[in-house]
Amino acid sequence: MEEGTLAKWVVSEGDSVDVDDLLAEVETDKATMEFRSFDRGVLLKILADEGDTLAPDTPVAIIGEKGEDISELLEQVKSGGGAEPSGSSDDDAAEDDDDAEEEADESEAEDDTDESDDADESDAPKSKKKKKPKKSSKDSGDQPKKKSAKPKKSGDRIFASPLVRRLAREENVDLAEVEGSGPHGRIVKRDLEEYLESGGGEASSATSGGFSSGGTVWDRQPPVVEKASQMRKAIARRLTESKQTVPHFYLTIDVDAQGLIETRAEMNAALTDEKVSFNDLVIKAAAVALRRFPDANASWIDGAIHRHQVVDISVAVAVAEGLVTPVVRDADRKGVLAISREVKELAARARNKKLTPEEMQNGTFSISNLGMYGVEEFAAVINPPEGALLAVGALRDTPVVKDGQLVAGKRMKLTLSCDHRVVDGAIGAQYLQVLQTLLEKPATMLL
Amino acid sequence: MRELRYREAVREAIAEEMEADESVFLMGEEVGHYQGAYKVSEGLLARFGEKRVIDTPIAEAGFAGIGIGAAMTGLRPVIEFMTWNFSFVAFDQIISNAAKIRQMSGGTIDVPIVFRGPNGAAKQVASQHSHSVDPFYTNIPGIFVVMPATPRDAKGLLKTAIRCNDPVVFLEGETLYNVKGEVPDEGEEELIPFGKGRIGREGTDCTIVAFGRPYYETMQAAEKLAEDGIECEVVDPRTLRPLDLDLLVESVKKTHRCVVVHEHWPYGGPGAEIVDQIQRHAFDWLDAPIERVGSLDVPMPYASNLENFVLPTVERITDAVRKVTYSEKK
Repeated sequence: MEEGTLAKWVVSEGDSVDVDDLLAEVETDKATMEFRSFDRGVLLKILADEGDTLAPDTPVAIIGEKGEDISELLEQVKSGGGAEPSGSSDDDAAEDDDDAEEEADESEAEDDTDESDDADESDAPKSKKKKKPKKSSKDSGDQPKKKSAKPKKSGDRIFASPLVRRLAREENVDLAEVEGSGPHGRIVKRDLEEYLESGGGEASSATSGGFSSGGTVWDRQPPVVEKASQMRKAIARRLTESKQTVPHFYLTIDVDAQGLIETRAEMNAALTDEKVSFNDLVIKAAAVALRRFPDANASWIDGAIHRHQVVDISVAVAVAEGLVTPVVRDADRKGVLAISREVKELAARARNKKLTPEEMQNGTFSISNLGMYGVEEFAAVINPPEGALLAVGALRDTPVVKDGQLVAGKRMKLTLSCDHRVVDGAIGAQYLQVLQTLLEKPATMLL
Repeated sequence: MRELRYREAVREAIAEEMEADESVFLMGEEVGHYQGAYKVSEGLLARFGEKRVIDTPIAEAGFAGIGIGAAMTGLRPVIEFMTWNFSFVAFDQIISNAAKIRQMSGGTIDVPIVFRGPNGAAKQVASQHSHSVDPFYTNIPGIFVVMPATPRDAKGLLKTAIRCNDPVVFLEGETLYNVKGEVPDEGEEELIPFGKGRIGREGTDCTIVAFGRPYYETMQAAEKLAEDGIECEVVDPRTLRPLDLDLLVESVKKTHRCVVVHEHWPYGGPGAEIVDQIQRHAFDWLDAPIERVGSLDVPMPYASNLENFVLPTVERITDAVRKVTYSEKK
């Protein structure tokens, strides 16, 4: 996690808080997380306002004893990060306090705001004063997973000077967007400055799509500039990265949906209070097809093909701010009704922003359906590091030729977006053949 | 302020300290009747007499050892090596005795001794007499290593060294002795503390750490680079042990780039130590790997053109700065 927005304070200054009490809600690019207290005491001071976007480890509040003097802490917070190095000005010899130096090094390396760390150390007995949302430690459970789920750029590591990395953190710049002019394409201070001057980075990305040079275009009616939500930023970053680094190609088939319609009708007739949707059936069929034709269930990560052992389907769900992709795990082994219930439940929580990051990570294949909007067919952007995505169009009445006769038919178009690095044209086509059979003769899913 | 030559500044420091403290004496080869091989001690014999300005035989191990013994018994010897190259035969005395006595005596015995003399290359004195000895002595815990580049620093630091209760290796330079520079007027006593560097030139684009003789090449390089709009900050740590890390790190945090210039060979030494300290303490402020400019990794050749080629040159310093500022000439 690079930053989060403090969505809402649940407690106010002066409130007593206990360990594990809910303090605030923090909106990340994926979900709204609960921020709970690690300490017991009185909330003396709130340092971050609702709506503030903050980097991890930024102090947001001070918890201490009632009536405690926090002026010194406030000074430290104000003066921000970057402690002085613990240089050796020792009179004896430059080397004789190695330990102390190493400690200082560690705190510097781990933490930009190490000034506060130092303070914590120096008055260790009465510490626990400072409350910092150490999201890294809080999320420690999912941190490694998160890492592996993050798509690598084809160039893998971004080379940037330590200074640039620090400035990029402070300025919220995605270094993937900055071109490096140093050796091995190293991004150096000058490159970052040029990038920021040319309107790169956060502030301008909302307004300019890179074509407002001079700002003259919309002078008459300037656009309303809206601050991008964390989710919007994540979408912008990830999908740009996907389109720029994943070689997409698209395969479309037109499926006879008659069998699907009949199967769904039979299923729903057997159900009392609930119904399964076409999309549920498509998820099931796509998952079974992946199990039967596993070549399409693969990812290109770090220059190697990762063939998945599981069939975990990411399902695109539109929410108010954009879209999220909760994952139906082992969809090939679940019944249509189980899938249906799970999708409904995930979608409901997605709309309330209550999905956990884990629930949106590590899918192996995505399905996106715009059929309900009457879209006949569309080509979607792959959700890296997944190797393919199935875009489902509307079920439609159309004249078809059957046994040489023109008759009324039910059809549905499916477009598979493939990452050519792992899914070649023939593989994608064969997968669609398998899928087509399953959709046209749903009973064969039982085989 | 008046102008003095480096040798005069050193001489003044010795004389003033001898005047102020009877336990201070000067000993070495040719320091008395010959007035010093480099005329540093000119006039001191006449002024202080043979008991306090002592000519020795050519026996560095012997007079270094005598000096250490004298220091242990309460005197404050200033031992002159005609050049630091000759200190190698006294190496054991310096390392095994001077540097160790305090610790081995459980802190009960002071060794207030200064070893001083010209360090580094002179002009065509060839491989055996051109050593920059700072890497050898900076490696030893228990001694201070001082390497002043200017007359003022030489005087102020030598006075501090003579008053110091621990052994001090004081590195002058044959080619520095004629350098002129401002020194506080007579009667204005200045003691420069160990571990405090000096900014020789302020700048914003690159920190150049330089000490000893190549300080002057570095200042020239900085002027040259300024013509191209690259403003270098030249920082002279003045003492290599202890090292004014705060000043170095503060400067690098401002300029984001660093070049370390030294006369010693490239393998290890204070040059490498400075790089190591800076990269750890200013890592997140660095925009480029730290570069070093030192003597080339060969025994010093005798030929003048080759000697100039081996020593750190203005051109090599400017090249290094251009490299770390990513402004190499195409």
